[in-house]
Amino acid sequence: MATPVISPARGRSTGRPRAGMSAIERSRRRLYWPMLLPALLLMVLFYIVPILYAGWLSLHTWDGINELKWRGADNYIQLAKDPIFIGSIVNTLKILFVVGIVTFVFAFALTMILRDMMGRKFVRSVLFFPTLINAMVFGIFAGFLFSPAGPINKLLAFVGVQDPPKWLAQDNLFNLIMIVMIWSATGYFTTIIMSAVDQIPAYYYEAAGLDGAGPWAKFRHVTLPLAWDVISVCAVLWTMSSVKVFELILVFGGSTAQAPPASTWSTALYVYQAAFGGGSREFGVSAAAAIVSLALVTVLTIGLRRMLRREAIEI
Amino acid sequence: MNHVLTQSPTAPVVESAVSLPPLKVRRRKSSMKSRPTIGGMIGRVIVWLLVAFNLFLVVWMVMTSLRDTRDIARDPLGLPTQPHWENFATAWNTGGFGIAAINSVVATVVSSLLVVAIAAPAAYVLAKSTRRLSSTFTLMFVLGLGVPGQVLLVPIYVMLAKFQDISHLKMINSVQGLIVVMVGLGIPFTVFLLAGFFRSLPVEIEEAAAIDGSSGIRTFIQIVLPLARSGLVTAFMLAVISGWNETLFSLVMLTTAENRTLPIALLAFLDQSQFNGADWGGLFAGIVLVVTPVLALFIWLGRRIVEGMTVGISK
Repeated sequence: MATPVISPARGRSTGRPRAGMSAIERSRRRLYWPMLLPALLLMVLFYIVPILYAGWLSLHTWDGINELKWRGADNYIQLAKDPIFIGSIVNTLKILFVVGIVTFVFAFALTMILRDMMGRKFVRSVLFFPTLINAMVFGIFAGFLFSPAGPINKLLAFVGVQDPPKWLAQDNLFNLIMIVMIWSATGYFTTIIMSAVDQIPAYYYEAAGLDGAGPWAKFRHVTLPLAWDVISVCAVLWTMSSVKVFELILVFGGSTAQAPPASTWSTALYVYQAAFGGGSREFGVSAAAAIVSLALVTVLTIGLRRMLRREAIEI
Repeated sequence: MNHVLTQSPTAPVVESAVSLPPLKVRRRKSSMKSRPTIGGMIGRVIVWLLVAFNLFLVVWMVMTSLRDTRDIARDPLGLPTQPHWENFATAWNTGGFGIAAINSVVATVVSSLLVVAIAAPAAYVLAKSTRRLSSTFTLMFVLGLGVPGQVLLVPIYVMLAKFQDISHLKMINSVQGLIVVMVGLGIPFTVFLLAGFFRSLPVEIEEAAAIDGSSGIRTFIQIVLPLARSGLVTAFMLAVISGWNETLFSLVMLTTAENRTLPIALLAFLDQSQFNGADWGGLFAGIVLVVTPVLALFIWLGRRIVEGMTVGISK
């Protein structure tokens, strides 16, 4: 989920070798293809060919064993009529927008709180750590902690709540999943936003303070505009990772020998279940769902970038 | 055509980053640190509660892994009366975590070494080349970052199965097959990360090496790679963490106990406890096996990991 930023290739690119090229340039050119080719080949084999293949498979029906049969757009039509698939799209969008917005609000709040706090590095590290752990573990923890006779309910009973909510009931399950996601993603985005905010010179805040700006006005008129670029990159990062959510939902509830309830599926779960989730293997339907989720992430990323585009503000 | 494509999705950030004067990170002086407001105080309390909760989870996980299963069921938050190391023995032997841990270590280390070895030369030429084609390739790697794993799942599975039929090399349900997949899937991110590092290296040193008569490949191996060591280590660490946590492809590919990696062993253990009753002690011992190596890495190299995962975004 991490992404550094690449800058466009530098300098005067003519694409043609020129006379009077330096020796270093010449030897670089000689090495260009040998050094690049292995990575390029893997990229073609593991990204480009599979995507094209998925597109082709999505127009067929296939169980992986018998003859492949042409099906045209029927897989997509079937998906459009499948309430579970529609639900998985809705869930993915919920993860993107609900979890995303709450996480960002929390991340900003934490950034503001941590700015002048003692031990900020330590706090940041502790909050960052969940990002690195397989989300499956949190699914198991939550299933254990929130089980009917589990610690959370015991704690609630201790404070006097006699009728705790049924955390792991179907209706609440997805909400609980979203809460766990917010908890585990906040630290990562806090870290990114914090390092952006750290680069805002202090005298901007001092000047704003002299003009009578309170904490909110400082945030609104100094922090937010100056950190905007980073926010928009974070939004793209979150879009990409929200479409990938898989492990957490797969194990949520602690002990699921079968598939988790369909009401909690994300698109990743749907793709997995259609192809490998027991019963007949429907590679065609699965590929169609995969293509839809690729289209979804593309449209959302482009849309978000458009929406968040602004003139870069120079410090 | 190429010209349009060179506009990478993250370009606006880069432009602003480039146009920024090098800013020193300045912190607000202590004069601003005094007088936290009421809201600030409440915020700090909440932050410390959150930190305490995260730390509690780690301690609780370790404690619970050392307790008797019946004790855990009776009182989930209790302390171990005496350490039940046999939980680990059970998990390691009968739970299948032992072989899974070995598989995980092998798959993760080998694939991470390979992905860095393949990505580093490519990232280097992409970072230093002025060819127009390079920016197209760079963009291709960037776009690869946004492709959700589920899109590639079925195609790669089918391709591996076909390759296995042709070559008689075991790909499906084998650790080597998983390694191949992890290397292929890890390429975009690693190239991306390393290109950033190589771009930040001063070009003068290579020029000096070229003037001294060092060939291109020697310059790369003897001059550039040692200079980029911290970047290579970071890339390796991040590959290790994502390899260690890989679940989606492992789940589909590794079907028998002797080939499982840790996340899959954990899932299998959960499934088993559906029938045999939950062995909480063993389960938590398994979770400790999954979490502890990452925790150790984070304590050891935390700053590097955090920077690798957020670098460039806030630059």
